[in-house]
Amino acid sequence: MCLIYRLLLGLPLCFILMLSACKPTNTSSAPIIKASSSPEIVFAISQAPLNLDPRYATDAASERLNRLLYQSLVDFDAHTKPQPSLASWQQLSPLSYRFTLNEQRRLFYYPPSAEHKAKARKLTAYDVKATYDSITALSDSPHSAEFSNLKNIVVLNERTVLFHLNAPDRHFPAKLLLGILPAELLKSQHDFARFPVGSGPLVLLDSQNKWRLRRLDDGQRISLIEVKDPTVRMLKLVHTEVDLIQGDLPPESVRYLQAKPALTVKTSVGVNFSYLGLNMQDPQLKKLKVRQALAHAIDRQAIINKAMLMHSRLGGAILPPEHYAQQQTLPAYAYDPALARRLLQEAGVSLPLKLVYKTSTDAQRLRLATIMQAQMRPAGIDLEIRSLDWATFFAEIKQGNFQLYGLTWVGVKTPEIYGQAFASDSVPPKGFNRGRYQDAELDKLLATDNWQAVTQRIHQQLPYIPLWYEGQFAAMQKGMQNYSPKADGNWDDLATISAYAH
Amino acid sequence: MIKRVLSFCTVVFGVLSLTFLLIHLVPGDPVEVMLGESASLADRDVLRAELGLNQSVANQFALYLSRLAHADFGVSIHSKTPIIELIKTRYPATLKLALVALLIGVGVGVPLGVFAALKAGHWQDLVVTIVSVRLSAMPAFWLGPMLMLIFAVWLGCLPVSGMDSPSSIILPALTLGFGLSAILTRMTRTSLLEVLNEDFIRTARAKGLTERQVILRHALRAALLPIITIVGLQMGSLLAGTVITETIFSWDGIGRLLVESIEKRDYPVTQACVLLVALSYVVVNALTDLLYRLADPRIRLGH
Repeated sequence: MCLIYRLLLGLPLCFILMLSACKPTNTSSAPIIKASSSPEIVFAISQAPLNLDPRYATDAASERLNRLLYQSLVDFDAHTKPQPSLASWQQLSPLSYRFTLNEQRRLFYYPPSAEHKAKARKLTAYDVKATYDSITALSDSPHSAEFSNLKNIVVLNERTVLFHLNAPDRHFPAKLLLGILPAELLKSQHDFARFPVGSGPLVLLDSQNKWRLRRLDDGQRISLIEVKDPTVRMLKLVHTEVDLIQGDLPPESVRYLQAKPALTVKTSVGVNFSYLGLNMQDPQLKKLKVRQALAHAIDRQAIINKAMLMHSRLGGAILPPEHYAQQQTLPAYAYDPALARRLLQEAGVSLPLKLVYKTSTDAQRLRLATIMQAQMRPAGIDLEIRSLDWATFFAEIKQGNFQLYGLTWVGVKTPEIYGQAFASDSVPPKGFNRGRYQDAELDKLLATDNWQAVTQRIHQQLPYIPLWYEGQFAAMQKGMQNYSPKADGNWDDLATISAYAH
Repeated sequence: MIKRVLSFCTVVFGVLSLTFLLIHLVPGDPVEVMLGESASLADRDVLRAELGLNQSVANQFALYLSRLAHADFGVSIHSKTPIIELIKTRYPATLKLALVALLIGVGVGVPLGVFAALKAGHWQDLVVTIVSVRLSAMPAFWLGPMLMLIFAVWLGCLPVSGMDSPSSIILPALTLGFGLSAILTRMTRTSLLEVLNEDFIRTARAKGLTERQVILRHALRAALLPIITIVGLQMGSLLAGTVITETIFSWDGIGRLLVESIEKRDYPVTQACVLLVALSYVVVNALTDLLYRLADPRIRLGH
C-alpha cells in the first residue's frame, strides 16, 4: 500500500521538479533581444525545400531558396517585365539573343560539403552554356520542355553568350530564370539537390533537420526550419524560438500576432490569382448564363473582408492589374443572388442547380469553400464540397473529372499563360486548359498577342470564375529590419535582413 | 520456431503486396508530380521508363522484391536520396519518442490503475476514472497545442517544437504518453479488480502476507497479461509513427516521412516505410510473447 502512495506522490513531484528545473524564458512583451544572445536569424517555413538543384526544383520553397543560392540571367521589375539580373541582352534577330554578363556576377562558393573543391572563381558564359545545355539534355527535369525551342548556345567569350532558337519567341528572355551552376560540377554530376554550389548572396552550410545558411557579404547566419502546423509556427514566433514567419497562416492568427507588442507584422498585396475552375464539357456549365449566374452568386468582397488577409484584393484576370500585359481594370461581377437565380432560370436550369466543388484538404481552402456554398444557396445553387488529398485532387482536375474546382495560379510571369490555360489545343497533357474550353475567337486573339482583347474575351466568356489575389504577410520579432513580404511570396529580403540588439 | 518464421514471412509478404497494389490503385502519378504540367509527353514517357513505371504492376512488384532481397530499398523519386539514409535519420527519432512516451504511459498509468483498483468504489477511484476518461478522449491535435501553450508560451520552460534540445522530447512524449496512460489506468484497474477476487489472493492474505506483498507479488503479476497486451499493441502503433504528434511538434519521424511520401506518390519511400512499420509490429509482437512468458512461466512460446 505504502509503495502505491509513494509512487502516486513521487510521480507528480518528479514532474514538478522537472518543470522547475527548466529555466523560464522571457515572455514579456518587450522588444526581442534574440540578436544579442544569438546572431542567427531563424525563419520558420511551412514546407521544406524538396530539391535545391534548380534544374529539378518545382516547389515554391525550393524556388524561393534557390533565388538566394544561385544567380539567374534575368529577373522582373515591378510590372513583371523581364529585366537584366546577371546579364543584359539584345535581340539580334527573331531567332537569336545575345546575353552579356555584367559585373554583378559573383564568385561561386564551394562549401566544404562539395565533392569538388575548386578554386573560387567568377561565373562565366561557359557556366551559362553548361547549365542550359544540361537542362535540355535531361529527361527528368520539369523545366526541359520550356527550353525545347532552344537550338543551340554559343559562347563568344567569358562574358558573352548567344542563344539560338528554332522558332521566334518574344518571351524567351523571361524564361531564363534558372540558377547558373558551375560547368565543372555539372560535368562531374555533382549532387546539387543536397549540396548546392552557386553564386548567390547566401550559401547553404548544411541541411540536417534545418537549412543553415550564411550570407556571404557579412557572415549573417540564417536558419530555415520546417514547421508544418500553422498554430505551432505562430506559437514558436510568440515564444521567440523563431524570428520570422511568412504566409500560410489563417487571418485570425495574423490578427492575433498583430496585437502582440513584441512583434511586427507587415502585409502587402499579392499576385497569386485564385479562381473557380469550371468544366466546360458539363451540360450545365457550358451555358454562358449559368457561368454568369455563378459569378454573381459569390460575394467575393465579403469573403475578402471577413476571411482573408489584409491587402487581399478582387481578381479579374490571371495577371494582376499592375502587370505590363494587363494594365486595365476589368468590371467585377457584383454579388446579386436574385440576378443569379434569374440567369439560371433563363438558362432553363431546374432549381436548385446541384454542383460538386472539388478542393484540397487545406483548412483555409475548405473554409472559403464553405462560405461560397452558403452564399450560393439563395441563388438556387446547391454546392457539394469534396476535399481530396493534393495528388488525387490534381490528378482528377487534369483528367477533367470535376464540375467545379478551386485553385491558385502561383508565380505566373508572362502573358503566354492565357494561351496555355485557354487555347483550344492546350487541354492536358499538352497545356493547362483543364476546363476543356474551346473558343475559336479566343484562339484567334491569342495568335495576335493582343492581351487586352484576350483578357476581355475571357472575362466576358467566363471559362473560370475569377476570385481574388490573396495578400501576403510576414511576422517578425521587433528587432528584425530590412525584411518585407513580396507580392509573389519570395524570400529575397533574406539577402538584406538584419537583427539588432536592445 | 519454424511456424513463427513462416508466419513472419507471410505477414511481411502480405503487407508488401497489399501496399504495392493499393498505392498503384490510388489516383495520382509520381511522374506528373515530378515533372508538372508543362512537361512534354516524350519527357513523361522517358521518365516513366526510367522509373520502371511503364511496366506492368506485376513486373514492378517482382523487380521490387528482387531489389529488396539484396537489401536495396532504392532512392526517393523526389529527393533522389537513398531511402536507407532517410530511414536511418527518421526511424531512431520515432523509436526515441515511442520509448519515452511508453515510459510515461506505463509509469503513470499502471500505478494509477493499481491505486484506483485498491480504492474501488471510493471517491479516489472516481477521480482517477474521470481523469483517465478525459485524457483518453483528448485528441493529440488538441492536447499537443494545449501543452505547448501551457509549458512553452505561458510557463516558458520548454520549447514549442523541434528536435534541437533534449527537452524537446518532453511535450510530444507527454502528448502520446497521457493517452496511453489513460488506457493503461483503465486496463490495470479492471484487471487487478478481477484478480483481487481470486482464491489465491485470499490464500495469500490468509498466509499472513502484507498487503504490499499480496499486491506486488501475487495480484499485480497475475493482472499483468492484459496490460502487456495493451502495451505491445500501443508500442506497435507508436513505432508506426504517430503522424499527428510528429507533425504538430515538427518531429522528423517515420510517420511524417510516410505521409509525405504518400502525398508525393513517392512509391519506393512509402513501401520502405510500410515494410518498416510491419517489421516493427512483428518484433514488438515477439517481444510481447516473451514478456508473457516472463509474467507467467506456464505460458510456452508457440502454444
